[in-house]
Amino acid sequence: MPVEATAKTAVSTESGRDTVELLPHLNTGLEKRLGDFTTLIEGLEYAARGVTGVNFYSPRGALEAAVTYAELRDRAKATAARLINAGLKRGDRVAVVAETGAKFMDVFYGCQYAGMLPCPMPYSMHIGGREAYAERIAGMLASAAACAAIAPDDLIESIREAALKAGTERVMTHDELAAIDTQGAELSPFKADEAAYIQYSSGSTSHPKGVLISQKAITTNCRDILRHGMRVMPDDRAFSWLPLYHDMGLVGFCLSPMMGQVTVDYLSTPAFARRPVLWLKLMSDNRCTIAYSPSFGYDLAARRINGGAVDLDLSQWRIAGIGGDMVRSDVLDLFAQNLKVSGFDARAFLPSYGMAESTLAITIADVDEPVRTDVVDKAMYKARGRAVPASPDIAGDPEKVRSFVVCGRPLPGHTVKVVDDAGAELAERAIGRVLARSDSLMTGYFNNPEATGDALLEDGFLETGDMGYMLDGQIVITGRRKDLILHNGRNIWPQDIEWAVEHIEPLRDGDVAAFAGENSDGTDSVIVLVQCRSKDKGEIEDMRRQVSATVNRTSGVECQVVMIPPRSLPFTSSGKLSRAGARQRYLSGEIAEINAAAPAEVPQRMAAAG
Amino acid sequence: MTASPEDIFDKLCELLIPFNKNGIELKPDTEFSADLSIDSVSVMDFVMEVEDHFDIDIPLNVLGDTHTVSDLVKVVESRIG
Repeated sequence: MPVEATAKTAVSTESGRDTVELLPHLNTGLEKRLGDFTTLIEGLEYAARGVTGVNFYSPRGALEAAVTYAELRDRAKATAARLINAGLKRGDRVAVVAETGAKFMDVFYGCQYAGMLPCPMPYSMHIGGREAYAERIAGMLASAAACAAIAPDDLIESIREAALKAGTERVMTHDELAAIDTQGAELSPFKADEAAYIQYSSGSTSHPKGVLISQKAITTNCRDILRHGMRVMPDDRAFSWLPLYHDMGLVGFCLSPMMGQVTVDYLSTPAFARRPVLWLKLMSDNRCTIAYSPSFGYDLAARRINGGAVDLDLSQWRIAGIGGDMVRSDVLDLFAQNLKVSGFDARAFLPSYGMAESTLAITIADVDEPVRTDVVDKAMYKARGRAVPASPDIAGDPEKVRSFVVCGRPLPGHTVKVVDDAGAELAERAIGRVLARSDSLMTGYFNNPEATGDALLEDGFLETGDMGYMLDGQIVITGRRKDLILHNGRNIWPQDIEWAVEHIEPLRDGDVAAFAGENSDGTDSVIVLVQCRSKDKGEIEDMRRQVSATVNRTSGVECQVVMIPPRSLPFTSSGKLSRAGARQRYLSGEIAEINAAAPAEVPQRMAAAG
Repeated sequence: MTASPEDIFDKLCELLIPFNKNGIELKPDTEFSADLSIDSVSVMDFVMEVEDHFDIDIPLNVLGDTHTVSDLVKVVESRIG
């Protein structure tokens, strides 16, 4: 495919316009095609025949750039030519920092035209967290054996540092890449039976695993989402503040909309974190109909809206998807209540279940149905591993029941089953390992046959690592499997302990990690790590007592409470607590008690054995 | 707007009050993560207050290198200057 014809149009349209005009969402004269393409490029070429595209907003809510899919296609082809002329080869891994902007998309789609594998890298940093960021990127670059890394100006120094550690030879800013000539390069786009990209949403931050996704997997999943999950209509318009390095942001709100010719309005993730209400305001202004968020995003926006909801009109919002974490019904209730005055309809909530290993979506609830919550008997759930509906006499008692949000039926072409430890399929309401199979499954973890073998079973099912149960053909997720604590023959879900402890003031989500330690006789002990912001010894000991009491009250086990410094708990790159990582760091001594004067808490049995 | 480093420091301390839940005495070398222990969501909240007050933007990479209150004074100084 020659590139000369398009090279001249590659100049950024962002600078070419004096005032940026918002792109429309309606494609008059172009038939809507919901993802029936065999490659991403085929989808982009089709979307380029219309007038839809992507709009980017500044942190303060001003429209900064608008790029049609046609412009994106031209820019991507020019970028492909530059990558080739930079000396990169077909099949090379190209790491690119996934900031929310057209330049990231240029490189992502450019790689598609050049037959190179884009690896989106995180664009996020904590205050004072530059070194940790470089470390995290270095791990990903090494895992992907990245040949090149491309980053925006503001992060280039950290990326250079990471590349040096990882042995990635070529590091470029977007401007440096744009300065490379486009002449003479012969594009060679990925074919339908080839790979598409590598996603880093999986594994702990310290041992990243790159999920290799094929063209077949991404096109299948986009089609499933557009046709059966969201049932996209011609006048739909999407909004997203989700990070583009995460599967929900990349697949759900960049690739899928493109494959359905849907216009997307973007706000960057850091901008959302600073001004969560801007999300709702822009959705109201632009009459957006589709947006997704983890529970915490709805929580943040609901708490910050104050009296502002009255000025919004969210009556057109038909899909308020929830994914990426355990769906919390209390948060959805709060959001619906606080936003009711804006015309927001709680029936828009759409619970979903998926993961990067399955490209993105596995189940999506029925668009036309309200959110369904299953209230089960906590005692039966804990002791027998069965989700038995709570009887009316205990239903109102939070101590005796547990509520789970039902996450929908498997999408067509997807099979989900719940099995016991031996692999035998379980009946409805019995809790077990969740397995999934479809054409959307990853090819494997890049360059990691061992981890791939653990995840992809011989019969073609993916070990999701989640525990759950089936209910009327729908999946209910109860927690992660490998984190289960076995105590005196009982199953204890660490999420339950963490959930309870996080409700102690002033602790927050993500401050607590619970996991199994090993007693000298091989049985599990329960260890609870708590991030403590106080330096006052009295306060620390007071907190320890409260935690211990809470765990005892909610799970009925004695535990060892370890108070640790803030931000020492490890998280996966998709923001989930890595319990295995926390456990490993604690056992290795990397995370330790902050109050050294505290009495050494040796589990009794260990002491007895010693 | 002209502001001396002392003015900026005083203003930052004022903006920090709601986030300084443990009532730590604020000095130029007070560290955000170690001493104040503000979680990542609250930090964004505080950064927004700073940006809005001084009418500046603080990019991510700059934030990554900002450890102490005096670091932030320098950031604000250079951004409004």
